Amino acid sequence: MTRSTAGSRRIQTAFAAAAAEGRIAFVPYVVAGYPDYDTSERAALAAIDAGADVLELGLPYSDPLADGTTLQRASGAALAAGATLNGSLRLLARICAARPHTPVLVMGYVNQFMGPIEPGVMAGRLAGTGAAGAIVADLTPDEGAPLEEAFGGHELALVYLVAPTSGQDRTAQIAGRAGGFVYCVSLTGVTGARQSLPGQLRTLVTRVKSVSPLPVAVGFGVSRPSHVRTVARAGADGVVVGSALVDALGTDGRDVDGLARTCGTLRAATTVTASGALHGQQPP
Amino acid sequence: MTVVARPRGESVVRAIARRRAEDLRDQLEGTDRHQMARAARLAGPPRDLLQRLALPGLHVIAEVKRRSPSAGSLTAPRTVIDQARAYEAGGAAAISVLCEPHWFDGSLEDLRAVRDAVRVPLLAKEFVVDARQLAVLRGAGADLVLLLAVLHDGRRLRGLVREARSLGLEPLVEAHDERELERALSSDARLIGINNRDLHTLEVDPDRAERLRHLLPDDRLAVAESAISRPSTLVRLRALGFDAALIGEALMRSPEPAAAVSAMVAAGRAPHDPATVARRAAVKICGLTHPDDVIAAARAGVTHVGLNAISGTPRALPSDGLARLARLARGLANPPQVVLVTADAEPEELDRLIDEVDPDIVQLSGREQVALLEQLRRPAWKVLRITADPAATVSEARAWLASGRCQRIVLDAHHPTMLGGTGLAVDRSQAAAVAREVPVVLAGGLRPENVAGALRSVPALGIDVASGVEPQVRRPLRRPPRKDALAMALLGKRALAARDDRPHIASRPRLAPTGLLEADDRGRWGVEGQLGGRFVPETLMPALVELERTYAAIRHEPTFWAELRELLGHYAGRPTPVYRADRLAATISPRLRLYLKREDLAHTGAHKINNVLGQALLTRRLGKTRVIAETGAGQHGVATATACALLEIPCVVYMGARDVERQRPNVLRMEALDAEVRPVRAGSATLKDAINEAMRDWVTNVATTHYVLGSAMGPHPYPTIVRDLQRVIGDEAAAQLQAIEGRLPDLVVACVGGGSNAVGLFDRFIGEPSVRLVAVEAAGDGLATGHHAAALAGGSLGIIHGARTLLLQDAEGQVAEAHSISAGLDYPGVGPQLAAMTMAGRLELATATDDEALASLRQLAASEGILPALEPAHALAALPRILGSEERELLVLVGLSGRGDKDLAHLTGARR
Repeated sequence: MTRSTAGSRRIQTAFAAAAAEGRIAFVPYVVAGYPDYDTSERAALAAIDAGADVLELGLPYSDPLADGTTLQRASGAALAAGATLNGSLRLLARICAARPHTPVLVMGYVNQFMGPIEPGVMAGRLAGTGAAGAIVADLTPDEGAPLEEAFGGHELALVYLVAPTSGQDRTAQIAGRAGGFVYCVSLTGVTGARQSLPGQLRTLVTRVKSVSPLPVAVGFGVSRPSHVRTVARAGADGVVVGSALVDALGTDGRDVDGLARTCGTLRAATTVTASGALHGQQPP
Repeated sequence: MTVVARPRGESVVRAIARRRAEDLRDQLEGTDRHQMARAARLAGPPRDLLQRLALPGLHVIAEVKRRSPSAGSLTAPRTVIDQARAYEAGGAAAISVLCEPHWFDGSLEDLRAVRDAVRVPLLAKEFVVDARQLAVLRGAGADLVLLLAVLHDGRRLRGLVREARSLGLEPLVEAHDERELERALSSDARLIGINNRDLHTLEVDPDRAERLRHLLPDDRLAVAESAISRPSTLVRLRALGFDAALIGEALMRSPEPAAAVSAMVAAGRAPHDPATVARRAAVKICGLTHPDDVIAAARAGVTHVGLNAISGTPRALPSDGLARLARLARGLANPPQVVLVTADAEPEELDRLIDEVDPDIVQLSGREQVALLEQLRRPAWKVLRITADPAATVSEARAWLASGRCQRIVLDAHHPTMLGGTGLAVDRSQAAAVAREVPVVLAGGLRPENVAGALRSVPALGIDVASGVEPQVRRPLRRPPRKDALAMALLGKRALAARDDRPHIASRPRLAPTGLLEADDRGRWGVEGQLGGRFVPETLMPALVELERTYAAIRHEPTFWAELRELLGHYAGRPTPVYRADRLAATISPRLRLYLKREDLAHTGAHKINNVLGQALLTRRLGKTRVIAETGAGQHGVATATACALLEIPCVVYMGARDVERQRPNVLRMEALDAEVRPVRAGSATLKDAINEAMRDWVTNVATTHYVLGSAMGPHPYPTIVRDLQRVIGDEAAAQLQAIEGRLPDLVVACVGGGSNAVGLFDRFIGEPSVRLVAVEAAGDGLATGHHAAALAGGSLGIIHGARTLLLQDAEGQVAEAHSISAGLDYPGVGPQLAAMTMAGRLELATATDDEALASLRQLAASEGILPALEPAHALAALPRILGSEERELLVLVGLSGRGDKDLAHLTGARR
């Protein structure tokens, strides 16, 4: 069952604040250590300053099997440049200290949370940085109990993902266990920018909202302002943008201004127009 | 032929029946029933079919018919007589002759003509509406007669069955649905047909016989009818427990009816591959008292006959009588072993009996003490009565087994204090608890109708039956009971078939913690359940749940395993041989008997074909239309491409770009087989990255695609599925060594990458504490260099590709790159079952370096003329180290998982 943690409440507050401004929450994603720690720190702060409501910081991983080519490349480049868990956690602490009002979530793979490092140890170290919680790409509630336990003990939110394949029963099960918000995967596939978002988005979002009081954010494939508006119209409470921001950093990953501009454009699209759905309202 | 109209709304079968009744009014008017019965008796003795059908396998009843309402005219260029002779020549067990004139153009003349032309029994296919028809049919030479349950209520059907029997006609009572089947069963008929065709509408439902078979108790003989045209259907029907198939139209239309029957008969034969045969239980018939019964028992395939020397019991004979029967048994073809049944006999008395009767085994049925074994000059079977405390029975059994002179525990379910109050199910679970621990022969209340169920729920090595095959009639006092030949044959058949095509039913004790043998319902392996599981993106979870559900159903579905066994036998070349490599052995140790399990001789050149054929059939069952796979050495890719070509499924294979380079021949083979090979350049560009990419494809295309994972690894249920499909390697090898050497190996060695060939070879032996198991991993440049692929020896607990297991990783959980010359071993993880066995101390570890593997490859090629793949060359290379200074004579089994053609380029490269 959902455990209310301080991390979870911080995230929900951020979503509520965006909704109060007539927006869906903007959740940009930055890869820690890509192309190096300094640049990724500037990128993270720029993303926050461009209006992020929540920041997602990717922990580079050797085998990112839920990620498309863009994030695979960034993750591999970060590791090749010497990114480590310690380095990424120090970066995380600096970001949290510099922008204390923006909740930061890390995103990684299960072997980083429940592998050689025990869940309790990982949770303690994460909590020490000031992070609000984590998203684990290859973890579902079926195997998540030990991490939920550890996160609960450290007041961290464990965000679960629902997918278009999940169906009613699993969606309810996942939403019941999720912390912070429910991450709604927009499409059946891996991360990465797409030309368009699938048509069943509204159905997906409605399905989650019918079984959960938590905010719902949509991610995977969102790269353009029109996509952000589609997500808002589908009734979601937030939008996650990842690969498009890595692309915005340019081929060498150093174009922080480019990233800031893209964040600004996407953030501007989060305002819910009169024709769109407002937070908390079910679409007709 | 008369064209017959039927009133609108009247069903076909009722129209025919009405017309036959009209015919009879004319033909049989005024005939005397007793006169007809006398004529019937003059027709010569009836030919028996039941004994034949009670022999193992599915038998063919071939039908002669000139036309049918559903098929129209079937008149072949042959006469009815030629057709019948062709059936007999092809091996039909019986011939069915249509006698109905208006719809089928049949006649009694046809029946008489066929009777004179062949020697097999004849089934009169007639619409019997009046008991008087029976005598007419018998008089014309019928041995069996069809009775349709649809035409008669229960009482009339019972009457007709009784009447037919009294004339010497064996009735085949046919049903089409549950209600008719109920009537058929209550009629007391021994031969029950299930017709796929609805005789009201003539519509065919080809799966009906399969669906209804389980409603038929095993003491009846089951016949499937209609819509059977292909040998593969007979394989399925045999696996479901049908004893015969009645085939008409397909044979009438065949240009070569003898050959067509022959192919059907071959398809219906009971399986005889070593793995299947090894799972069968021994059958002991106890208390034989008459020479004819001994002969009938041997003919029924009974493996042991019990001769009773316990005076004062009903089946006891004096010792000279026992000696006569024992001599008779020994002289028969396929002689059964003779078990001398005693109770509390004095040692001198036992000595005298052994001298006189010369039994193979002495059964101790009384309150004997274990010390008696020391004086006993024959192996013993000890009878123990099951108590409410199986653990007590097990410890008593162990005391008897400890010396090695007692081979089996005969577990008798009967107990004076347990009679009445205890249901059979309780007995079964207690018996199962004992049989899981010690070698058990199950006794007590077994009969043809319950023996298969008992053998599926109790992993007994044998059964012991006495009264269950005796006629249920009051016998004259002081006359020892006789056995019923048909009941013995049927019991033997049901016992033999009980575990056929059910390879995952336990058939012997397995002395290992459950977590090393099977995953729990969450896919956890290990003594503490800390390995395995299912760590994947949510998108894949529903597909894995569906796969788990579908596979759970299929796992105990005999038709699936029968179909797979046919493919493995006729297509993939199983069983693969075990070869005794003396020349290689001599270079390692003078007292080594080294056997290689030759998976290199399987189709496509490696063990991988076992897995992919099963998963390809599974793909069909899942309704998926596309297959993806990863491959390292290319062997799994080639095998998948092969299976997909065979079953017409489009196939994409992901392969690390480095592996594409070093295993070029296999890339060309996959492309020739019409598979699309996609090189993966990410990461280390080897197997691990190919798996990542395959998972990404699967995440994207999960609705249409099945991922044929190549090793016993990955998220639940893959480790179970792949292990189940590969365990045939070890099941076969154990049976083959038993046949050659009379025992299990001392040591079993296999190379390990992901672990599918290793777990497939090891699985049979995990529960055999006398067998050492050794996994050989790739040491690459040497373990000390850190450039290796030894996940078991050098890894730590973590999560890779969906499962918690041992893997090569750093302290932060980043997966390390593996290093091996062998692409098939070049993987940083390993399947959870092998990791669990390692952590529990059940699996020993060894390694071999790149250079050692190359040298070993050359050595096997030069000494034995076998060019192994680099992967199993690792296993051979480690042998001297594994054996160490062992002085004893050792029987060693090594898995030769694949052939080396793919490594030739590599070999010349390394030589340069």
